[in-house]
Amino acid sequence: MIEFGSGNLRIPRWTRPVYLVAAGTTDFRKRYPEKKLEELCMMAFRMLLEDNDLKCDPLEVKGLLNFACYGEFADHFQDQLLCEAKVHDYLGLDPLPNVGIKTGGATGGSAMLMAATTVASGMSDCTLALGWERMDEVHTWTGNYYIATAACKDFETRLARNYASYYAPMARRFQEMYGVDERVRAAIAVKNRGYARSSPFSQQPGRHTIEEVLNGKIVSDPLRFLECCAMSVGSACALVCSEDLAYRLTDRPARLYIAGGSHTLRTGDRRPMRIPLLPHETEEGYAWLYDEMARRDGRWPGFESFGATRVAAYLAYHMAGISVPIEDLDLVETHDAFTISDLQTYGDVGLTLYGHEQEYVTSGDCYLHNPRTGTPGRCPANLSGGLLGTMHAVGATGIFQCGEVLWQLQEKYDAFHGNPALWARYGKRKPADWESLQVKNARRGLAISHAGVGSHVTCAVLEKAW
Amino acid sequence: MDDHVPVGMTPSTISVVGDAWILHVPRFGDEGMHYHTYGLLTPYFKGLAEGRLLATRCTNPACPISKGHGQLWLPPRADCPDCHQPMQWDDIKNPRGYIYAYTYVERGGTGLEIPCPYYQIDVRIEGVCTIVKSYLDGSGPIRIGDTVGARFRTGSAATHTCLDLYWTLE
Repeated sequence: MIEFGSGNLRIPRWTRPVYLVAAGTTDFRKRYPEKKLEELCMMAFRMLLEDNDLKCDPLEVKGLLNFACYGEFADHFQDQLLCEAKVHDYLGLDPLPNVGIKTGGATGGSAMLMAATTVASGMSDCTLALGWERMDEVHTWTGNYYIATAACKDFETRLARNYASYYAPMARRFQEMYGVDERVRAAIAVKNRGYARSSPFSQQPGRHTIEEVLNGKIVSDPLRFLECCAMSVGSACALVCSEDLAYRLTDRPARLYIAGGSHTLRTGDRRPMRIPLLPHETEEGYAWLYDEMARRDGRWPGFESFGATRVAAYLAYHMAGISVPIEDLDLVETHDAFTISDLQTYGDVGLTLYGHEQEYVTSGDCYLHNPRTGTPGRCPANLSGGLLGTMHAVGATGIFQCGEVLWQLQEKYDAFHGNPALWARYGKRKPADWESLQVKNARRGLAISHAGVGSHVTCAVLEKAW
Repeated sequence: MDDHVPVGMTPSTISVVGDAWILHVPRFGDEGMHYHTYGLLTPYFKGLAEGRLLATRCTNPACPISKGHGQLWLPPRADCPDCHQPMQWDDIKNPRGYIYAYTYVERGGTGLEIPCPYYQIDVRIEGVCTIVKSYLDGSGPIRIGDTVGARFRTGSAATHTCLDLYWTLE
């Protein structure tokens, strides 16, 4: 669709408010042979029930559940269809209804979206969103091929069989169009992998330098290995509730708004269209960009931006009353599967104007502590460590992001990341130089869950509700 | 047309049902064969094997976007997404374009048939509303904006896949 009809961009009107009250997760590893998949899901579920200071006993909370939404990206990694049934049974939730959800890399976000709609509609008062991925049953490069079957089988998969090679042309075009210094992408890898050092859940924490990233091996030019997330094994979950139930379970619930967008599976099929404007943007503000695109045969969203993210943000911002994102949001979790997708997203979600993404990163606003000024960053990104540093167990990712934002709003970052016993639970020792990444007085956070080269995207806004 | 790029696959077996090509994809021996149809896009793959680049366009005057004079689609589609009516096939004569985006693939996933390293390129062609992903025969270096011309794997060298279209610098 390159022109919207009068009804297309209707703002969702839920029949009642939706809340997020608790979250759980495993740690994440490249290989996790110590546990079967359903055992990992139980680890995450147990954390949700037992470690979130809920005002009911774990089994009482379980007794309130009405529905479950399960996220799994790929059946073929495990040769197991209907994992949902095995997990649901293992968690002891039969015969309650459940659904399995699949939208590529956005599977976790879509599971959150579906969980929210079960509560918003009255179908459920209490819904479990739980996702997982097990990618360690195959060799890494076979796994890369399996992931690349999420490119177009007829026209794209054979041209790489490696997903980085579908993002790399976007990075190249973005770099050329906006004059991006490669050091900016590298800084994103350094930042997010650095934040992962504070997380006991993280798979790839590291204290890296920009030079180390840029001197690293190339996967698909211009993307280096440290600019790409790794395959993960693990699970994450969240509890989505009605208003009455949310306050029965916790004194610190978060209001949840979430919406989605979509775009073509093949990047090149995205025909030029006008930019759907966010509340703080104007046509005049983008006159220069349209002129520039006309001059350079550019197009929106083209290879530089994600139309699905823009539509998801458009809908979610109107639902949540976000009018100026950089002022109204206190933290974000982007889908940094690759450094370039993190960079692209800042324009899509309106934290800066399209074309100014590079300046946004170098401004320091996306850091917890602005490295330029030493003052708090205006909207820190991926304090969880993101996909680059912490995890991309695909079906769990969008749920994990919402959980991390919830804990930030609840001021529980330290409780879930700084407790030495939690590190020990995963066979790790809390680093001596561990740093708290708690955002002070955060009221609203954003989580972007993203599939393919932007085929499906969800945008969740969580808002402190006490 | 000469076939420059050695690819690591033998020509796929094709069966025909009506006008459609069915690609045979072996997995686990005879009983494990997958049969993948090209359906209404069969003319595209037939065209590649004959050294022709075919695309589709919407000619429906009632279409809100094309108004009967649509640009070409490549990859082609049998039906127009804007008005849902069948599209028409056109030959792209002497296909040329320019590199709109690219990457140098240094490592592909398991089963990759193109020898690494190579340039994967996205080609912008005048009159085509989409940008087609393909690959380059040549070691570069290349830049966005470089002009390329289409080449084909034809006849007995055809793989009957998207690999039958590739490009060289002009």
